[in-house]
Amino acid sequence: MSTNVELDLTKEDSNDGINFEALQNEKIAIEVENLNLFYGDKQALHDISLKIPEKKVTAFIGPSGCGKSTLLRCFNRMNDLVDIARVDGAINLNGENIYGKGVNVADLRRNVGMVFQKPNPFPKSIYENVAYGLRLQGINKRSVLDEVVEWALKGAALWDEVKDRLDDNALGMSGGQQQRLVIARSIAVQPEVLLLDEPASALDPISTLKIEELIHELKEQYTIVIVTHNMQQAARVSDYTAFMFMGDMVEFDKTDTIFTNPRKKKTEDYITGRYG
Amino acid sequence: MNDLSREFESVKDKVRGLLDKQTSSGHHTFRRSKDLLAKYGIAFGGVSVIIAVVMIFFYLLYVVFPIFKSAEIEPKQEYTYQLDSTLMWGTEEYGEIAYQLNSNGDFIFFDTANGNVIENYSLELEPGESVTQVKYANREENLLVAGLSSGRILLLKQEFKLSYPNGERVITPNVLYPFGTEGIELQDVPVTAIAAAKNGETLSIVTADTEDKLTYITFSIQESFLSDEVTLEEDNRQEIESEIAVDYLLHDPTATWVYVISSQGELHSYWVEDSELISNERTSLVGSTVSVTDVEMLVGGISLIVGDSTGQISQWFPVRDENNTYRLNNIRNFEFSDSPVKDIYPEIRRKGFVALSQANELGLFYATSHRLALLEKIEGLADSAKVIINPRANFLMISSDSGVQTWQVENEHPDLSWSALWGKVWYESYPEPTYTWQSSASTTDFEAKFSLVPLSFGTLKAAFYAMLFAMPLAICGAIFTAYFMAPQMRSMVKPSVEIMEALPTVILGFLAGLWLAPLMEMNLPGVFLILILMPVLIVSFGYFWHRLPAEFTGRVPPGWQAALLIPLIIFGTWLCFELSYPVEKLLFDGDMPHWLDAEMGISYDQRNSMVVGIAMGFAVIPTIFSIAEDAIFSVPKHLSNGSLALGASQWQTLVRVVLPTASPGIFSAVMIGLGRAVGETMIVLMATGNTPIMEANIFEGMRTLSANIAVEMPESEVGSSHYRVLFLAGFVLFVFTFVFNTLAENIRHRLRRKYGSL
Repeated sequence: MSTNVELDLTKEDSNDGINFEALQNEKIAIEVENLNLFYGDKQALHDISLKIPEKKVTAFIGPSGCGKSTLLRCFNRMNDLVDIARVDGAINLNGENIYGKGVNVADLRRNVGMVFQKPNPFPKSIYENVAYGLRLQGINKRSVLDEVVEWALKGAALWDEVKDRLDDNALGMSGGQQQRLVIARSIAVQPEVLLLDEPASALDPISTLKIEELIHELKEQYTIVIVTHNMQQAARVSDYTAFMFMGDMVEFDKTDTIFTNPRKKKTEDYITGRYG
Repeated sequence: MNDLSREFESVKDKVRGLLDKQTSSGHHTFRRSKDLLAKYGIAFGGVSVIIAVVMIFFYLLYVVFPIFKSAEIEPKQEYTYQLDSTLMWGTEEYGEIAYQLNSNGDFIFFDTANGNVIENYSLELEPGESVTQVKYANREENLLVAGLSSGRILLLKQEFKLSYPNGERVITPNVLYPFGTEGIELQDVPVTAIAAAKNGETLSIVTADTEDKLTYITFSIQESFLSDEVTLEEDNRQEIESEIAVDYLLHDPTATWVYVISSQGELHSYWVEDSELISNERTSLVGSTVSVTDVEMLVGGISLIVGDSTGQISQWFPVRDENNTYRLNNIRNFEFSDSPVKDIYPEIRRKGFVALSQANELGLFYATSHRLALLEKIEGLADSAKVIINPRANFLMISSDSGVQTWQVENEHPDLSWSALWGKVWYESYPEPTYTWQSSASTTDFEAKFSLVPLSFGTLKAAFYAMLFAMPLAICGAIFTAYFMAPQMRSMVKPSVEIMEALPTVILGFLAGLWLAPLMEMNLPGVFLILILMPVLIVSFGYFWHRLPAEFTGRVPPGWQAALLIPLIIFGTWLCFELSYPVEKLLFDGDMPHWLDAEMGISYDQRNSMVVGIAMGFAVIPTIFSIAEDAIFSVPKHLSNGSLALGASQWQTLVRVVLPTASPGIFSAVMIGLGRAVGETMIVLMATGNTPIMEANIFEGMRTLSANIAVEMPESEVGSSHYRVLFLAGFVLFVFTFVFNTLAENIRHRLRRKYGSL
């Protein structure tokens, strides 16, 4: 045990736990440069720099309040809805800063989908929930919608369960189904990036498993960023993992590396369950 | 470890001991009894509320119910009494003493209970003279005219003196000759028909003789200065050869019309002008093969009630046509019997009448309500049977085979029926059937008009205009406050609007009637300018604000921008009122209400629907605003975030997610507001002018059910038709709100099922 502590100390000394080397074979979808975020006077994110690989699953882990959800919300500018939030730094999506001038936030959000912790289907039919994003853009042609709804529900592994009751209210579904519906809703507008904010934390184990399988399938087509509290889940579903602590990006590496051989003591403590 | 365990044990024991003590001390019993008390107390309260509402409902029904009850008659006595060769018979007010006049000139008063003769006056006739016909000249004064076989006319007066010896009512009948016993010498041939009208200081008499010659005489009544003696002074005498047989001769109490009717159903009407009869029209009352069997005038003398040989009774009265001449119109028909109508006798105080058919069926009718209140076959009657009813319409006498039957009548509200309350009714002297509310007037022979349609219409109209004003303002305000406004501003705005609800409506009504109504009349173009200019002003301000550089707009904290509109609205209102007069001068000849009337044909009342709409709108806005705002505000954030995360704009999120989710709440807000607008009394009472008209015109007033109850209840006689109709109006109001609320609750539940309970 004592040797381990020593090892940790040495790791602490190495100034940078962020290993972008691991990404050398990946195409980068999102690049975060020196991002600072303030809620009023309180700084929630400190000088974050990060690269998110394309068509891979990147997990953000860290103790409660470490800023991982806040960072996730920066990617589709959901933090704009908080009046007192202020951001500086840059997030480049496909080489373009999403905080730059002239960026249409609605278009950005269409391109960067988001699934929340609590399933939030709209109080509409299953069909209308999935078609919602397209209708927002003025696409109301029934044949197009039919096709997309079926595609999205199949993509979210929900089609077989709901194909006979598309006109039923989505609120009548189980929690796990609702969450998959929300994912179907998100992918129906063909985003590039899918942000998942603890998507399985309110679900039972079987639903969680289904969501995880779904994430696995979805990464073929989408860049996925997932925030999770569940270490096993992060280990199971993600390719890369970022560990955050108190608004700092502590460590970033391949998931295997992080979980087997973390460079930082804080990371190891967290992963092994010393706190969190 | 052991210490800790021991200590833990001791704490555990201690707490357990304390808890056990609490249980045994009866604390739990007390708690349980509190629970029980609360349970049954609340249940009792709830059930009491339901019982109270149901009892109000049933009380209303209980008061209203007699309206729809049929009339009832109950036999009293039957006794032998000779009514042969009777020219006229009837009873006084109470139905205690009946009178008859036969052709021999015997004026007999008898007790209706047993037929015992009380007095027998012989008229002062010359030898050989007999009475041919006798009619009332004035029913209230009991003034009679009698035509004699000698061609003389005699004026009589019945008198029923009331006295209370030993505390009991005693009626003493008498016959007087107010204008002397010598009568009026008219001609040498017998008078075959006579009719008369005493109207104030004039008396007019029309007679017919055996040659069908009509004589029309007018007298003025001169009162002596020294004594009570009155004398007649003949003003004019006119003789006309009648074109048709004079089988029925009628003269209305206002001395305006004379009708001559033959038994073939021909009618010739004469119009009185400057004490002369002028022929007005000739018409036929019945089909060619039908004959007229009896004709009477309803009280007031406007309507003729014609019975014919087919058993039908028809009502006719003169109506002014396009050429400004009066034509007799067949107003309504009563299918009475298969056998001919034998006798008709009008009620003295109401527009009702009793009729007897050849088959001895008795019918109690009411003209206005077109109602046959009772139809009953009477047994044991002779062919010559006749019927009368007392002035109070509660005592009926039928002359039977050599005797008299008397009946007790209960017929309180024949003047009300479904068609009289809700249908178009052709009232006397009206050019066409109408919906009219006019419950009382200064004359006794007035026809009460109890149509609830204008009142219901007024109620809905007031509520409509109020909702038109309140709904957009309240709902849009609620949306902005709940969805866009900064929390601090919201915490000021919401209570301020809600406190408006505490404003007494009487103050709102007072302000609306005495301040707003004249102000609007003075500045009508300004009011319309506000309606047109204000939205333009607000929207363009929003646009310019949007285009302003960010350094400038950034100074206003987000969600506070609405506050910038306050000076704008004040300025806009001021500007519109300043522009009012110039615009009025330029476009509306300096007087818009007058211009509306003259150019557009829209009449303008000072107290009109617009004033009520605004005033009542103000009363309704807080209700709608408060509930709708709560509904919108309580739509979960994660729903709107979900929508925004899909690339929706704020507006799209509002319209597609937030409003549908809040729709059950918004809907119930609107329905509660509507319920309040329908039941609101004080504002409409003070600001509408209370004219019960049926016009959708926004510049005219109305009378609502609730205001009508408030206005008329104090002046209605308890138990009268009017009183019961007012209760019926209350009942209708009750039903209105009940239906609205039930409907609203149903729709709300459906919406809630659709949009879920989140």
